[in-house]
Amino acid sequence: MDSPTTSLDQNIDLSKLSPKDKQELQQFIVNESQKSRIQQSVHSLTDICWKKCVTGTIKSGKLEKGEESCTQNCVDRFLDANFTVIKHLETMRRQG
Amino acid sequence: MDNVSSSLGFSASSDPKTAVMNQVRQEAAMTNARQLIEKVNEHCFEKCVPKPGSSLSSGETTCFTSCMEKYMAAWNTVSRQYINRIQQESSKGAGAGGIF
Repeated sequence: MDSPTTSLDQNIDLSKLSPKDKQELQQFIVNESQKSRIQQSVHSLTDICWKKCVTGTIKSGKLEKGEESCTQNCVDRFLDANFTVIKHLETMRRQG
Repeated sequence: MDNVSSSLGFSASSDPKTAVMNQVRQEAAMTNARQLIEKVNEHCFEKCVPKPGSSLSSGETTCFTSCMEKYMAAWNTVSRQYINRIQQESSKGAGAGGIF
């Protein structure tokens, strides 16, 4: 009961998995991990861009025109910045 | 035929593969929802309750409803834009998709 096994192990008999099932599951997990990584980035970008772009009071449940384009630009510029940092690090590494 | 042989009295599903998949999906959805709620609370509290009074006023409640919808709209906009960008970058090659 207080063992560290997850709920997975308690309910599901994994020994019944065929090799084909195992392979399918492995692929499924890879896909799900990627999806979850992307969602994670979207959460963090929304957090960042909300702070930048939604500066006024809340008037309705929709994004206003300027806020919408600001948010789109915010995502693109953040990623640009991200790539710039990586590129520069690469240059620094090559220069030793 | 083999779910009877399960020594556990409460086997989740006759097909262990589907059971694992369902559980993974469910947990991913939970994590996603939890994060969204956390962020909505954080940002909308900031926006809608600048000075906490003795109770949540009706104006504050209305603001929360709008703010929540608005945050989700922002989330969707970001998601669309981000995914577009990833697709663009990965079609350019160089495998830049996995950086952020």
